[in-house]
Amino acid sequence: VVLTFLRRATEEEQQAQSKKALKKQQKEAEKAAKKAEKQAKLVSMFWVCCLTSGAPFQLVLYRALVKVEDLTLEKVDQLLWVRARVHTSRAKGKQCFLVLRQQQFNVQALVAVGDRASKQMVKFAANITKESIVDVEAVVRRVEQKIESCSQQDIELHIERIFVISQAEPRLPLQLDDAVRPDGEGEEEGRATVNQDTRLDNRVIDLRTTTSQAIFRLQSGVCQLFRDTLTKKGFVEIQTPKIISAASEGGANVFTVSYFKTSAYLAQSPQLYKQMCICADFDKVFCVGPVFRAEDSNTHRHLTEFVGLDIEMAFNYHYHEVIDSITDTMVQIFKGLRDNFQTEIQTVNKQFPSEPFKFLEPTLRLEFQEAVAMLREAGVEMGDEEDLSTPNEKLLGRLVKEKYDTDFYVLDKYPLAVRPFYTMPDPNNPKYSNSYDMFMRGEEILSGAQRVHDAELLTERALHHQIDLEKIKAYIDSFRYGAPPHGGGGIGLERVCMLYLGLHNVRQTSMFPRDPKRLTP
Amino acid sequence: MALRELSSLEKYLGLKKPNKYTTQGDRKVPVLQNNNGPPLVGLVTVACHLVKESKRPELLGDGAEGRAVVQQWLEYRVTKLDGSSKEETRAILKELNSYLEDKVYFAGHQITLADIFMYHGTHSLMVDLSVQEREQFVNVTRWFDHVQHVRGLRHHLTPVAVLRNRIYTSRHH
Repeated sequence: VVLTFLRRATEEEQQAQSKKALKKQQKEAEKAAKKAEKQAKLVSMFWVCCLTSGAPFQLVLYRALVKVEDLTLEKVDQLLWVRARVHTSRAKGKQCFLVLRQQQFNVQALVAVGDRASKQMVKFAANITKESIVDVEAVVRRVEQKIESCSQQDIELHIERIFVISQAEPRLPLQLDDAVRPDGEGEEEGRATVNQDTRLDNRVIDLRTTTSQAIFRLQSGVCQLFRDTLTKKGFVEIQTPKIISAASEGGANVFTVSYFKTSAYLAQSPQLYKQMCICADFDKVFCVGPVFRAEDSNTHRHLTEFVGLDIEMAFNYHYHEVIDSITDTMVQIFKGLRDNFQTEIQTVNKQFPSEPFKFLEPTLRLEFQEAVAMLREAGVEMGDEEDLSTPNEKLLGRLVKEKYDTDFYVLDKYPLAVRPFYTMPDPNNPKYSNSYDMFMRGEEILSGAQRVHDAELLTERALHHQIDLEKIKAYIDSFRYGAPPHGGGGIGLERVCMLYLGLHNVRQTSMFPRDPKRLTP
Repeated sequence: MALRELSSLEKYLGLKKPNKYTTQGDRKVPVLQNNNGPPLVGLVTVACHLVKESKRPELLGDGAEGRAVVQQWLEYRVTKLDGSSKEETRAILKELNSYLEDKVYFAGHQITLADIFMYHGTHSLMVDLSVQEREQFVNVTRWFDHVQHVRGLRHHLTPVAVLRNRIYTSRHH
């Protein structure tokens, strides 16, 4: 339905007119409109329209725009309006084929010389630059053969009117078709693929690809599921400061910022504040916020800034209550993704094939010593209290997958020597601790533990790790006035998404990634 | 290195009296002083002599063709395998992997000196491979695991752990 009306800038004039004159005007307007419509049927309207404001007359259009996603067989023979991007346009004699794209969905469209379109209109359509945003009025028609290359495979649009809303520059820094091509296919057919640096430099265009759209919609889902699951369990969401006075995890990997006349640090984790909230009787808390690590690691899984999803809770009698709570949250997230985001998962798999993510219920929990035994059986030589190196973690992941058929598991009771100073030691064996790591597809996603909640023991542990007590005085003091036993852990949003989808670089799941070599966009 | 190998071979063959060896040259080629004639020089020569002494001619191959194949692999060991560089390792393993695809032993249908020599020669390569690489060269790993478990064969070399099941699927890189 097209509703058009002209609004005069001077409304006083309108009010002054007599009723009779108004009626006469209306009749004339109707006549003119009918004439215009007749003409429109013969002469197709195609012009670039610039929606500007401040003109004495404003042309206001309200059209019901249909989403490309909703263009199905149900709508066959309907005349409707669609706003989408021109993905490709190809002229062939008297016809022009276009592929119109809207986020993850695309549809074939056709402009043919006939009583609705002139030869100039076909030429105009063929010359619209890629990525331009267009409004088209078209009839939905059934196709005999499925259009494999589009998401809407059963129909195509026969265009009657086409307008360019926003024109794109002709030379694009990267071609979206190349950006979506799987790497193997590129090599085989000798076609181009886009390397990661080019994508990241032109992120705005790269994010338009179907794969990127799917990845970040899934990521949004992870955040939402995290919040919903924890809220249902009675957790309270908190916000913690990111500008802090002392480095929380040790001074090495922290960014310094100038703070008026002194300097401050960017928080490496919300650890200290989560714990203070527990001491402040919030019982169970979680927070979602940026985490800053000044680690000069140029690996596939490290960023200098990432989104941390952190949990902390007081427990009643055993820290395994904390592990159970965290693993249950993770399982709810995996289930939510599996049940509600299959479209997105399949879209990503088209470009980056991987095996579906498997998990067990209840979550598999192994002890560190068991893991060492498994690794030794596979020929790895390592000490009893040695931390797992990344290659060993990956090998362990494969061994666990083969033995238990799960991509997600918990490793409990790490050696005390390799954990931070605030980790609670194992009361039954002083060489080990009440700490745990969680793995997805053989890579670590969470490091957590029961925390030391006694000020004296905490001081002793800090001294043992040769930490300057002055710098953490406020932290230790927060445990002096009655602190419940508690524990928690934190996951990285980008890493979890990367591993769930089976991708290989965390920059693919970070919208505007930050690493030692990248500060823009 | 070669001397320890010969000592291990003697034990496998059940030779009661261990021989005394010397070496010559900077490549430390083993030499066995022979009472009945000129000294025997070279790992292959000495080993073949030991096999004959122990009266187990089947270890040198069955029939003319079998014997030729055994000699071929003994020579391969000494000329191509020993002293190969890191870059050549992958190519060598690929070659052995395709050769062993349809064979249990290097020559014929039972263990021969060729298997023993190749076991000693490939041990250092196998030890350095990751689990994934061992799965890649599945035939070499299968043969190696079989030979290293033969009774009385492995003495001074460390056992190489081989997992029963594959843990890497074909999709892994």
